[in-house]
Amino acid sequence: MEPEELDGGASWPLILDAVGLGLVLVDADARVLLWNAWLARHSGVSAQAARGKPLAAVFGTGLSASFVAALSNALRYRLPVVLSNVLHFCPLPLYAQTPADAATDRMPHAITMTPLVLPPWGACCLIQITDSSRAISRERVLQRQSDRLNREVMTDSLTRAFSRGFFDHFYQQEFARAQRKGIKLSLIMIDVDYFKDYNDAYGHPAGDKVLIAVVQALQAVLLRSTDKLARYGGEEFVVILPDCGEHKALAIAELLRAAVLALNLPHRKSGISNQLTVTLGVSTLKAGQTSSAQALLDAADQALYAAKSQGRNCVQRRSPQTVPAPA
Amino acid sequence: MTITGAQLDALTEIFNIGAGRAASSLSDIVGDEVLLSVPRVEFYRAHEVNANVLSLSSARLGSVKQKFRGPFNLTASLLFTEERALEIVQEMLGSQVQKEDLVEYEQEAMCEVGNIILNACLSAMADMLGISFESTLPEYSSAAPDLVIERLVLDADNPLLLVLHFNMLIEKRRSQGTLIFWLSSSSLQELMLHLEQFLSRI
Repeated sequence: MEPEELDGGASWPLILDAVGLGLVLVDADARVLLWNAWLARHSGVSAQAARGKPLAAVFGTGLSASFVAALSNALRYRLPVVLSNVLHFCPLPLYAQTPADAATDRMPHAITMTPLVLPPWGACCLIQITDSSRAISRERVLQRQSDRLNREVMTDSLTRAFSRGFFDHFYQQEFARAQRKGIKLSLIMIDVDYFKDYNDAYGHPAGDKVLIAVVQALQAVLLRSTDKLARYGGEEFVVILPDCGEHKALAIAELLRAAVLALNLPHRKSGISNQLTVTLGVSTLKAGQTSSAQALLDAADQALYAAKSQGRNCVQRRSPQTVPAPA
Repeated sequence: MTITGAQLDALTEIFNIGAGRAASSLSDIVGDEVLLSVPRVEFYRAHEVNANVLSLSSARLGSVKQKFRGPFNLTASLLFTEERALEIVQEMLGSQVQKEDLVEYEQEAMCEVGNIILNACLSAMADMLGISFESTLPEYSSAAPDLVIERLVLDADNPLLLVLHFNMLIEKRRSQGTLIFWLSSSSLQELMLHLEQFLSRI
């Protein structure tokens, strides 16, 4: 049996009110002909109050300029218009809940305007409004996950110092910035003395704990947020000190050395002491000096080896080679 | 069918008026001056067209398509390389958004940008020629360049192509886009007829 045809007069308003998006039909003068229940719910304006009024009067100052321009184009040129949620956050004053919390709780939405010619009214424009808040919250969840993954990649999982990957990236950036602005930049390379022997004597879990303690002690010395401590590999760490000269870098290195010593961690297999110590190498790019990121890193490494051959638990410095600036 | 220099000039002028309208809408959205111009208009046959001819070499092309119906019918596609699209969206949203995070916004934003440019060009044409059009809603798709162009060629029957290269300047940065109108030969004849009437009036 053929289903009966819909009774247009009685059923359509019920269907329009059941639809899960906002529907407004306006005539050629932007006067409201139809206003569905979804829209009444999210605007706080009833169909009765809206019908027959120009859209601008219904929404008052709440209409965005881009919405007004788009509607006037759609009505004038009879071409469909889209307003994306990306380029317009909330073109209409619509709210997730009743308009009680109007000031804060705008509902982000996207709009489609379709010109139509309908028998009783002639030229009209159907405005469809879709709620984008779900898409936006999905994006936020993804953003949070991506932030978390970024943080994980940036952080050394054992010591919570920055990772080698982060150092490589950040150091290149900071070096380039220092060269561009002609400012100072210092590096401190830090090696935990006789760490392999520590592991042999106390076991790897104890070695892990010691590295965590060392990082906490080093971190406590670094007060500027721009100074970054990263795990360079194994028991080797590196500190980047942007805009920091040699004198100050040496003083910081000395504080770092003292901070580890002050932990008073026993080390019965240390070749130089009966407690855990670190050895440090400092290199500094002087203000206005042209060099390379590799040369500054090499200099810090050489300083570290010089300090090791000096007997460890001490600080040495080396200057990077001056390299002519690239043409 | 030959197209005269005067007809090409008239078309270029019409599309520049459209580009000016699109630029003013885009400026309102960006909150900064956007400049759009159409330096040249060219005609091609479908089989002559590929990504190289249209200077659209990229791993992926985005396309925003609307079909216009009026005294003559045409399908309009705004084509842009994926990198350009990301740059445009970045400039429109401001630089606080990282480029790699833009991909998710690209489709919606480019659909709107395409809609603004296509509507502006066609409404300028309608105004100048004293005609009117209806249109479908903009549709966005993205694929390898040859696939995009192949799909467009298949879509049109015996098509001729009117190709507009446009320059866009957003926040002092220049980018290029290509707008293609696909017309059947009968629609092209109709367009030329309206152009002739327009030219005889001025």
